[in-house]
Amino acid sequence: MGSTSAENNGTGSTENNGTSGVGRRALIKRSAALGLVSVPAMSFLSACASGGGEDNSGDNEGKTSESNPFGVKEGSKLDVVIFKGGYGDDYAKAWEAAFEKEWGVTSVHTGTQEITGKLQPRFNAGNPPDIVDDSGAQQIPIDVLHKNGQLLDLAEVLDAPSVDDPDVKVRDTLIPGTLDAGMQEGKVVALNYIYTVWGLWYSGKLFQEKGWEAPKTWDDFLAICKDAKDGGIGGLAHQGKYPYYINVAIMDLIAKKGGLDAMKAIDNLDPKAFVGSDAAQEAIEAVYEVVEKGYLMPGTNGLTHNESQTRWNQYKAAFITSGSWLENEQLKTTPDDFDMKFLPMPLLPDSALPFEAIRAGSGEPFIIPSKAKNLPAAKEFMRRMLSKEWSTLFAKEANSLTILKDGVDTGVQLRPGTQSTVEASKAAGDNTFRFLYTEWYSEMGTAIENASNELMAKRIQPKEWLKRAQAAVDKQAKDPASKQNRRD
Amino acid sequence: MRKGQHRFVAGFLLLPVALYLIFVIWPYIQTFGYSLTDWKGQSQTFSFVGLDNYTKLLQDDIFMGAIWHNILFLVFIPVITILLALFFAFMVNAGGRGRSGGVSGVAGSKYYRVIYFFPQVLSLAIMAVLFGAVYRSDGGGMLNGVLIKLGLVDKNNPVEWLNEPNFVLWALIAVVVWHGVGFYLVLFSAAMQSIPRDVYEAALIDGAGRAQSFFRITLPLLWDSVQTAWVYLGIAAMDMFILVSTMTAGDYGGGPDHHSEVMSTVMMRNFLLYGRSGYACAMGVVMLVLTLIVSVVMLRATRRERIEF
Amino acid sequence: MSAPLKETAPTGGPTPPPPPVAKGTVRPGDRRGEGVVLNVFSHGFLVVWAVLIVLPLLWLVLSSFKTDTQIGGSAFGWPQNWDPGVFSRAWEKGIGDYFLNTVIVLVFSVPLTMLLGSMAAYVLARYEFWGNRFLYYFFVAGAMFPVFLALVPLFFMVKRLDMLNSYQGLILVYVAYSMPFTVFFMHAFFRTLPTAVFEAAILDGASHTRTFFQVMLPMAKPGLLSVGIFNTLGQWNQYILPTVLMQPQSGDDPERYVLTQGLIQLQQQQGYASDLPVLFAGVTIAMVPMLVVYLSFQRQVQAGLTSATLK
Repeated sequence: MGSTSAENNGTGSTENNGTSGVGRRALIKRSAALGLVSVPAMSFLSACASGGGEDNSGDNEGKTSESNPFGVKEGSKLDVVIFKGGYGDDYAKAWEAAFEKEWGVTSVHTGTQEITGKLQPRFNAGNPPDIVDDSGAQQIPIDVLHKNGQLLDLAEVLDAPSVDDPDVKVRDTLIPGTLDAGMQEGKVVALNYIYTVWGLWYSGKLFQEKGWEAPKTWDDFLAICKDAKDGGIGGLAHQGKYPYYINVAIMDLIAKKGGLDAMKAIDNLDPKAFVGSDAAQEAIEAVYEVVEKGYLMPGTNGLTHNESQTRWNQYKAAFITSGSWLENEQLKTTPDDFDMKFLPMPLLPDSALPFEAIRAGSGEPFIIPSKAKNLPAAKEFMRRMLSKEWSTLFAKEANSLTILKDGVDTGVQLRPGTQSTVEASKAAGDNTFRFLYTEWYSEMGTAIENASNELMAKRIQPKEWLKRAQAAVDKQAKDPASKQNRRD
Repeated sequence: MRKGQHRFVAGFLLLPVALYLIFVIWPYIQTFGYSLTDWKGQSQTFSFVGLDNYTKLLQDDIFMGAIWHNILFLVFIPVITILLALFFAFMVNAGGRGRSGGVSGVAGSKYYRVIYFFPQVLSLAIMAVLFGAVYRSDGGGMLNGVLIKLGLVDKNNPVEWLNEPNFVLWALIAVVVWHGVGFYLVLFSAAMQSIPRDVYEAALIDGAGRAQSFFRITLPLLWDSVQTAWVYLGIAAMDMFILVSTMTAGDYGGGPDHHSEVMSTVMMRNFLLYGRSGYACAMGVVMLVLTLIVSVVMLRATRRERIEF
Repeated sequence: MSAPLKETAPTGGPTPPPPPVAKGTVRPGDRRGEGVVLNVFSHGFLVVWAVLIVLPLLWLVLSSFKTDTQIGGSAFGWPQNWDPGVFSRAWEKGIGDYFLNTVIVLVFSVPLTMLLGSMAAYVLARYEFWGNRFLYYFFVAGAMFPVFLALVPLFFMVKRLDMLNSYQGLILVYVAYSMPFTVFFMHAFFRTLPTAVFEAAILDGASHTRTFFQVMLPMAKPGLLSVGIFNTLGQWNQYILPTVLMQPQSGDDPERYVLTQGLIQLQQQQGYASDLPVLFAGVTIAMVPMLVVYLSFQRQVQAGLTSATLK
């Protein structure tokens, strides 16, 4: 088989890569003996490994300098794949144009929803793009990519000087904590670029008409739901076909009630994360109350995100759960005078965190494949993404904020929903939190979401929900690989 | 002559067999190879783990549940589709009683034959969009909308068709049947038309009713086609991936709470989402073996004396 | 499936004796009563089923003329946006290219499928040689494999042949995956052709190859037509194979999506920046040519299938 340089090149050779190289070699010996795994495929693989190596180190490497820390080579090509979801991909095209002007590197742009379909074969073939926005329903899970040794450790980019102020490292220009979501086994392998807040949303217009105040406590929230129900519409809508959304609300209630310790207990797979946690119990019982009293928008448990969000836009429910991408996603169906507003999760009695506390953090993971052909340009591209110029471009084109501190020029006019998230973030200050188990343990996340779906459909009670969630945690804790993820 | 014949046979078989070997058989054999590894799907690095994946499979409740759902599909999809298709084919070809006393299709059978075939021009992916709207869980869905108008369903409590553990499988079966009846109607019609008219007319003279001529004449003479249909529908029932994964809740479908899980959805979730591709390949091999068993059993079970005419 | 190797003339053989129908068990009077009930019931059922088929399809077409808010809001409601521009918008979204790609692939893959499939089926049906039975089952068993299983190894195979994202690659794969169905039905069909013609041709000194192309194949035309149409439908609606094989392998590889891929892509875009009417317009565009093909050939399809069932 070819050289192993492909895996080790440029990345400061992660441990994972090292072991996988051995694994591959060992396998080839065994498979030759067994005659089971195809020889042609394997020889192809080795061809590809060595091919990747040459590409990596050769053609695309230019001279490094202070302003060109990674050695971008003029005239080289950059292969960019962007998840074309709620934020579109116009922002990326604007970046690419700027990048070409600056470096003479032309980008080949792909905007798609089918990240897995498009990229899994390319990752397998050792022929990945140079930079990827790996997001959306068909995202390739970051933990899986990382375990396969496909991701570049981004430390090099983060420790490089910032474009705006060369005396400061890129890392230090970002909103604190926003890199956490991209951590796998202690390394930042994905840059979650977009600053997102999660919570409830309502229509300012509807609330004014009905004379409702944005609720700060769970009781007030329930009172509005009741009022809504009496008025012939639903209280709470959620995107039932994708239990992810309601699950966020449940988890956030737990975190706000029990404080950061309750959250960490879950992320760290504590044997009392759910069963035996008062916060978890009270939170799930509170959510179940909404179900039991019939405050859900009729049919919402089975609706897709488009369907339920459109219904909410048509004033068929008072509240909906979502993250801050909601406004951009609903641009077309939101009435002009809808006045979309963000609301932090209302508080349960005696909560550890204040009402203003929100789940906030970064979404939309950008990755650089470790086998990318034009690594220097990819790194530089990412460094530029974290400049004020590009961050402003993003805010203009995609109507959302990035993880760069003060990343938007003051002149940019934001839409009402986004504006309300800016205000909510300011009010929250340091009171933000973010679960990480979803990034670390896809299977456990799925199991908990399933349980939440059952609860919303009234097929299980809070007690059973706690048991199932705990079972998912316990199962994950048994996996030896889980020990490498931990937060304090 | 003899030698020439051999060369001819070999020559004719060479290309088809080669293509088939390269693109169909060989990949399947490789899949078996992968099933003995801990392959994670996003790179070609893995090691050999023997039969571990298969022993794990036996303890995987979700996969075992999925097998059970496939079996349900296997029973109901062919039975319902074939019965409906047979009935329609009979009505369209021999259900009418001409004034002259001859045997023909019912009035308008020409149109039925065309209309019933329509769903065949839709790909399964489009069917999923269509039936997503039919089964929509609020008053905006076609089914719920109609039922609410008829007063059969409470407006504030619509049926969440695909989110009801007891209903979701039936909802899926209905889609497959809706799609498939047209094809088998054509298949059976073709076979029925090859039954000489005079057989029916003779029966008619003997005083046989419609039901009788169906059970005594049509069905036995159609047995070969029914067998074909049975095998094809059985194979379709073992798959079901596209419909289940796009119509039901959860990543790669299977919801609510695994109640509509089929083998292929569990397999794909493990393959793509959990990054346990070697394990997924083992599931695939199990699927393959089960499908083979099913086909053989179906062929044996439906074997009957052929009736010549 | 294990039919005796004897000839069965399709139709027009000697007039068969009437099958054993129980005589006189039903009195004529009864039959009339039964007839009326059955008539109402069966006609009613036929009509209901037709409505069940037409309504959703009609809904699909009409949805092209709705607004996003209407579609998201409720499945009912009469379209309010009678703008034929939605079709040209769908066309511009690339439906035109996807369409062309699909046609390019099918123009080659369907005839090639029929040619190779018939050759294999013919030899297996009409010649006895060692391994015949095995080869037959070998082909037919292919229909039982779930395609998903083969995807990754298949991807590597096609990649090795340097045919990813190429028409010829997809064509060959389509041909290979259509073999089971084609061999299965054509095998049955060739069995039903009379031996006499074949023997006469051989006696006249025609080679086996010539006999096949000039005598047997023309005789099998109805079978070829109907199996050909089913293959066309199947390949037209194929989604999984092109998804894996027709993806650009690098950013500057041109996109050669087929229609199903394009529609799914359209559908997935709707999840984020909805232009749902365009999706429905796209689906309508994709539906029409297949309907036309079926409507113009349906007589032949029926005729062709007459003798091509499992024997």
